[in-house]
Amino acid sequence: MSKPRKKLKADLTRRDFGLIAGVAAGSAVFAQLVTTGPLSPFGALKRRQLSEEDYEHEDVDEYHWGMVIDLNKCIGCEYCQRTCNATNNVSPGKPWNIVVEDETNAGETFYFSRPCLHCQHAPCVEVCPVKATYIRDDGLVMMDYDRCIGCRYCEVACPFDARKFNWEEWEGENAYVPTWGIPEVPRRPRGVVEKCTFCVQRIDYGYENGLTPGDDYDATPACVNICPVEARVFGNLNDSESNVSKYLDTFATVQLRDELGTEASVFYIPLGEET
Amino acid sequence: MTTTTITQKKPSLSPAAVLWIGIICVFLIIGLFSAFLVLRDGLVLTNLSDSVPWGLWITLDLSAIALGAGAFTLSAIVYIFNVKRFRPIVRLAILVGLIGYTTALLTLVMDIGRPDRFWHPWVYWNVHSVLWEITWCITIYLMIMLIEFAPVIAEQSFFDRWPKVRVVAGKLHKLAPFLAVAGLLISLLHQSSLGATYGILKARPIWFKPSMPIMFIVSAIAVGPAITMALAWIVEWVSEGRKKIPHDILYSIARFSGIALLVYAYIKFWDLAAVAYYGRTPGSDTAFEVLNNFTPYGFGFWVVEIILGIIIPVIFFLHPRFRKNPGALVVGALLAALGLVFSRWNVTVSGLIVPLTYALGTLFQVPPADYFPSLVEWGIAVGVLGYVMLLFTVAVYFLPIFGYKDEPGY
Repeated sequence: MSKPRKKLKADLTRRDFGLIAGVAAGSAVFAQLVTTGPLSPFGALKRRQLSEEDYEHEDVDEYHWGMVIDLNKCIGCEYCQRTCNATNNVSPGKPWNIVVEDETNAGETFYFSRPCLHCQHAPCVEVCPVKATYIRDDGLVMMDYDRCIGCRYCEVACPFDARKFNWEEWEGENAYVPTWGIPEVPRRPRGVVEKCTFCVQRIDYGYENGLTPGDDYDATPACVNICPVEARVFGNLNDSESNVSKYLDTFATVQLRDELGTEASVFYIPLGEET
Repeated sequence: MTTTTITQKKPSLSPAAVLWIGIICVFLIIGLFSAFLVLRDGLVLTNLSDSVPWGLWITLDLSAIALGAGAFTLSAIVYIFNVKRFRPIVRLAILVGLIGYTTALLTLVMDIGRPDRFWHPWVYWNVHSVLWEITWCITIYLMIMLIEFAPVIAEQSFFDRWPKVRVVAGKLHKLAPFLAVAGLLISLLHQSSLGATYGILKARPIWFKPSMPIMFIVSAIAVGPAITMALAWIVEWVSEGRKKIPHDILYSIARFSGIALLVYAYIKFWDLAAVAYYGRTPGSDTAFEVLNNFTPYGFGFWVVEIILGIIIPVIFFLHPRFRKNPGALVVGALLAALGLVFSRWNVTVSGLIVPLTYALGTLFQVPPADYFPSLVEWGIAVGVLGYVMLLFTVAVYFLPIFGYKDEPGY
């Protein structure tokens, strides 16, 4: 190229430097515009999704949906799991809602069930690289199936094994329909992660029609409605008059792995607590 | 019409070269076929499950990025610490880095459930996510390496017809010191964030520790330059000395890597002592018990990671008897790379095999998960290896990677 030089220090003139700084700043602005700003080819899609994400309610602090599960009452009938499979169109191989037979250290048999705990400091939400999972103002941990890239980091991060990945398209018939319910949401596509939503479609229906989730049947999660022994109670944790709040006031409850500080919205009444 | 004889220079291919090209082609065909199957049928073809959602491919990503760490380490040595003696190896190091990072991106695209949405992290930002930060760092660092590599490509006679390209590439090359600073910062960030990907997960007792990012970056700094050095030796042997890098540089890199490996061993030792002995918790105790009873974790850790991956390479790199012996240095570097790949595998898979416990004061214990890669996963791995071999061979054969001259552009 040019003549060899002995010293190869960065021989930048002031003009070079200005040019380089300009190009660097320009490309940063350009990158911002193209990836997230108004020039983005995905702008319309992004704005639509953001508007869903920033879904505001009249009063932000008015609602925080939560659940109390009474381990003393649960009889392990699995109705909650079955109606969930039907209502939310969940593949039976990877249920959102699990029921397992368990044993205390003293040898007593009991049944443990678990939906998504809708943590307020959710590890899954923190790790998602694309904000495909996020916490709504009313405390629900939501999934945006149109945004998820299927990296499965949330699945690795969730302490409660509440997330399931769609390894393949589920094309089979849903054996739980119509006996256990009618699907209210479409099946999720292959390659995204899914999880329990607290039947968000019913909660939103409640908002629109002035119903109270937890009290009104049509606005309450299917698993809570179907439980034959009322082991599950659902309601607004921010309303001191709601069913869940009364339970929390009356009984000793625990949260799963509360030492992790995830602040789950699901509380358990442990064995031995008189209810 | 008088015939002008066009003497076409026939590239003479030795039988060994033909065999090499054949192997690359077979690997690429296997890889492309596996990729086709995965894109058509989805990740159900893998042996991954909801308990072990990450496996061989993530191990490959992490390893490829770590093995590409020679690029930022040697650029920093030359352009920031101003040790100009190492200049002749910078191009090779950047080539290895470019290959490593593109390999990682290729594998990652196969690994995500929705490859059509690979661009989402660029558009939908979650600044709290280490994975988002890693995606951005890798993107930016790949660009930095491309700029650093631009002069090498612009020197090709193909660009004779566009001298402007060379001028631009020359201007870009003036940026080298700045690129080295940016590259160093960004590499320090994402190489350690790859460890943090595991280290921040509080639900997993054997991952959740602050030493994770440090072990990742130190091992990358140790092994990345070593693998670059080993490749330099191998190219010299294969080209029968036509393409070589001054030997004193390679010896110095071996010594550097040996010392860095000792630092790595020291941190690893304290990590082991803290997690498994001084700071043990019920969670980590149970986890190690599960691993030792159900997997060859202990064997893999001590024999492959520590003895093969650290101790033998350190002896080869630092002992006076071996440190000027190219054969020993190459074997040492390859063993260190093996140890690094294995440690990434051990971190990923072991952490996932230990089941999560979250039920209340009970005996609730899910059986340990099981994972061994399926045929299609190995197929992608083989294809990626073919890609690495192809890119390296083509670049070394056609581009001025070796033959350093003391002039601008280097």
